[in-house]
Amino acid sequence: MQFVTENLQILFTGLGLGSIYALVALGFVLIIRATNVVNFAQGDFAMLGGYAMVLFFTGLGWPYWIAFIGALLAMAVFGVLFNYGVYYPLRHRSFLPVLISTLGASIFLQNTVLYVAGPQPKPLDKLLNFDGITLGGVFLDSQYIVILVATVALVFFTFLFFEKTLLGKKLQATSQDKDMARLLGIPVALMIAITFIYSAVLGGIAGVLVGPILFVSIGMGSIIALKAFAATIIGGFGDVKGAIVGGLLLGVIESLAAQHISVPYKDAYAFLALFLFLLFRPQGIFGEKVSEKA
Amino acid sequence: MPLLELRNVASYYGNVQALKGVSLRVEQGELVTLLGANGAGKSTTLKTISGLVVPAQGEVLFEGKPVQKLGPEAIARLGISHVPEGRRIFPGLTVRENILLGASNRKGVPRRQLEEEADEKFTIFPEIKPFENALGWTLSGGQQQMLAVARGLMARPKLLLLDEPSLGLAPLIVQNLFGTIRKIRAAGTTILLVEQNANMALSVADRGYVLETGSLTVEGTPQELLGNEEVRAAYLGGHHG
Repeated sequence: MQFVTENLQILFTGLGLGSIYALVALGFVLIIRATNVVNFAQGDFAMLGGYAMVLFFTGLGWPYWIAFIGALLAMAVFGVLFNYGVYYPLRHRSFLPVLISTLGASIFLQNTVLYVAGPQPKPLDKLLNFDGITLGGVFLDSQYIVILVATVALVFFTFLFFEKTLLGKKLQATSQDKDMARLLGIPVALMIAITFIYSAVLGGIAGVLVGPILFVSIGMGSIIALKAFAATIIGGFGDVKGAIVGGLLLGVIESLAAQHISVPYKDAYAFLALFLFLLFRPQGIFGEKVSEKA
Repeated sequence: MPLLELRNVASYYGNVQALKGVSLRVEQGELVTLLGANGAGKSTTLKTISGLVVPAQGEVLFEGKPVQKLGPEAIARLGISHVPEGRRIFPGLTVRENILLGASNRKGVPRRQLEEEADEKFTIFPEIKPFENALGWTLSGGQQQMLAVARGLMARPKLLLLDEPSLGLAPLIVQNLFGTIRKIRAAGTTILLVEQNANMALSVADRGYVLETGSLTVEGTPQELLGNEEVRAAYLGGHHG
């Protein structure tokens, strides 16, 4: 019994952390599909969201929800700036210059925040005013509950948006064949800008959600992004379902392995899982075996 | 005033000159075909009209206004619908979704009306109706071609550009498709048709041009082109008639 509750406890924590990876991974995948580029600043979207929340809530003393909405709006504006500053000028180039541009943006953002906010990690209050609930011997931390509920809601919303609306279909068409989309009169540049906004907001939400657990810090985005990137490969590169499942799976693997094998190597297990997948199932869970699309 | 007019258009692909001063016109309501061998510049001509290729020289006039500086999105909004070579179906969208997106050049049309128009397209192309919820990549070549034309018609084009619709299709399906092209034209849509299958194209066209390595060489009615020795030798297999 002790064994079961202990592992359920770990599973719960793992799913919570995995949700964060999943949200960032989802942002990765949406941008990969729209632009064929891996956005190395994806993790910094989470970091910026966290700092925006700290600024509005702790710094300016706004009510939590207002600060949260403010942080999301700030991230949406940032998504526009990122699109036009980092991606748009290089949109006719191959993927490499764009990739380097996002890498540069990542370094720039981290150092700008370091300059403005200083090196000390910032604490952030939980959304709910209670510690959590105990259910059958398993303690459910309130912030983890918030993370899980928010992730389910966001995944559901993303599904509705991309699968049920014409705008979502236009975004998909843009990611599948840009020239054809243009011939149909779909404003491709606008579609890509919307994708960046959506990704930035998703990343920002992940940062606000995880802030109370990990502290808000300059480097928080880097480690989350590395794991989210591993999650996109494990799930199947460029696959939306894969990003979510891969993220959750990594969170669980990491937590179980930390408990049962060794805590100090916590951050290594995600990459061990990545190695094993690359060796035995390089196309990932949902990926198809195609080397290069025509 | 012709619906479409090209004046001395020159276009390049990188350093290669694909069009060397092409001038042609398409009148309102006409079905004009552009014939020529592989690499003659037929597809480049269509891409120059729809804005995918920006001409280095010359003018493209649509309804009398120059459009050669506009991007493909803007040109689509003016009412030119380009069904490109290779069909270019969105592989990960369903057949119905592919058709619905064909109307992306029209602003503010309610979803319900688009769904009704999509249903009309399925009456024109009943062969693809059973697959309306299947993903685009699962269709056969012939079905994809019908889907591509159906999607092109959703734009309610004033001018429909069709690039090699018969390519890779079985003869019976080509017959069927050209029957539909005839009907589309009869319903009032002006069409510029690029084809390698010259016999088939001339059987539906009002006029035709022959393009050779980037320049137009012959122009005329189907009878004139069919009677031209050089054209017959080059594009009609020589032994026709």
